[in-house]
Amino acid sequence: MIRLGSFTVFILLCTVLVTPVCLSEEGTGATQVVENLHRSLIEAMQTPEKFSARYKLLSPVITNSFDTPAIARIILSRHWKTLDETQQKEFIDLFNDLSVSTYASRFSEYSNQKFKTLEQQDLNKGRVVVKTEMLQANDEPVRFDYILHENEGNWYIISVIANGVNDLSLKRAEYGTMMEKQGYEGLVSELNSKIHTLKTIE
Amino acid sequence: MINKSFLCIARSFLVLSIVFVVVGCAGNQTTPENTDPFESANRVSYNFTDTLDRYLIKPAAEGYVKVTPEYARQRITNFFSNLLYLNVILNSYLQGKFYQGTQDVLRFVYNSTFGIGGLYDVSTPIDMPQHQEDLGQTFAVWGLGQGPYIFVPVLGPNTGRNLPNLVPTYLLSPLFYADAVIAWPLTILYTINTRANLLEATRLRDEAAIDPYIFTREAYLQRRQYLIYDGNPPQEQYEDTFDESYLDDF
Repeated sequence: MIRLGSFTVFILLCTVLVTPVCLSEEGTGATQVVENLHRSLIEAMQTPEKFSARYKLLSPVITNSFDTPAIARIILSRHWKTLDETQQKEFIDLFNDLSVSTYASRFSEYSNQKFKTLEQQDLNKGRVVVKTEMLQANDEPVRFDYILHENEGNWYIISVIANGVNDLSLKRAEYGTMMEKQGYEGLVSELNSKIHTLKTIE
Repeated sequence: MINKSFLCIARSFLVLSIVFVVVGCAGNQTTPENTDPFESANRVSYNFTDTLDRYLIKPAAEGYVKVTPEYARQRITNFFSNLLYLNVILNSYLQGKFYQGTQDVLRFVYNSTFGIGGLYDVSTPIDMPQHQEDLGQTFAVWGLGQGPYIFVPVLGPNTGRNLPNLVPTYLLSPLFYADAVIAWPLTILYTINTRANLLEATRLRDEAAIDPYIFTREAYLQRRQYLIYDGNPPQEQYEDTFDESYLDDF
């Protein structure tokens, strides 16, 4: 019942807030991807018992909402071309695992949070930004801006900016330093260790 | 009575600030590739501060959270936020935000009186929200470059442009003019309470970061940009990640 109530409020909010800004069909598609992710995050927060349950719930949504191959290329930037095909595939899978694990770990407690879509703006080269915020009962709202691009007719998230902090830029700086200091193997080892920690933290 | 040791510290900061204003101006030429020209020294400072935090400040903050109810901690946070609000008011006006500045004056008066010395935030519910302004943001609005990233021992991440903000922070704090018997315990309480409010953020950092130094630097610099634009960065800001030549197919 609680889930249905929150979901109804969520849909109402989205209808009110999204309609004026999403004039094109493509725009609606990008916003829908973000809102679909948000619905799953709320559902994950309402599944606090087990990490594995949240991981199972979020895995298909995150895999289908994010363009992980593109994200992996942007993050490793000039280092990307130094990897062979097998390594590139390994890194994409590893990064996807890290993303799902991070979401499953972070969105674990539900205290009546609600997501609100603020607006969608066009960026260069067909990209768009969907601006949203997460409302919390006893705390300041958290702003989440998503950058999306279109790939083969579907919209995918390629960057998340939480309260002004761009996860993509942050990881690019960190991973770039790690590649320079410890090489690809060092980076993979670190990421595996992070994933292991996230999966066993409960 | 003005505490002499505080005056001495203020003078030191003033000198430092002048140096960093100059460095900050020179920072106009900085590019994303060299935001951290003092990385080696900064890492030493970071490691020192991290060790101090790990063995002293963080355990104190965790102990404080255990023995202090959330309600009381919120009152303490409100109290210090109000106590240090004069700097926000000054910088709202310095940035030409006159409506916001006047709102900030009213907020300070309301919270100081009806909010019992700032313990209660009675202004936010009546549409006078808390703003986050400082001298670093003012300099940015005036067109000064960011300058180098500087990790100040104990105080944490900063930039050449924002470092002079320490001067009005101290000079506009009533604690600065209070007797040492009052000033020091309140300064210690402020430090522990502030650290307690950051426990969740640092837990998330420790969980996510593979290089906590880089993570802290990038998150801080991006957050500063976000604050400068009051949460509404220009469109170019969203494009920054994709503007490099090796990403020309994105």
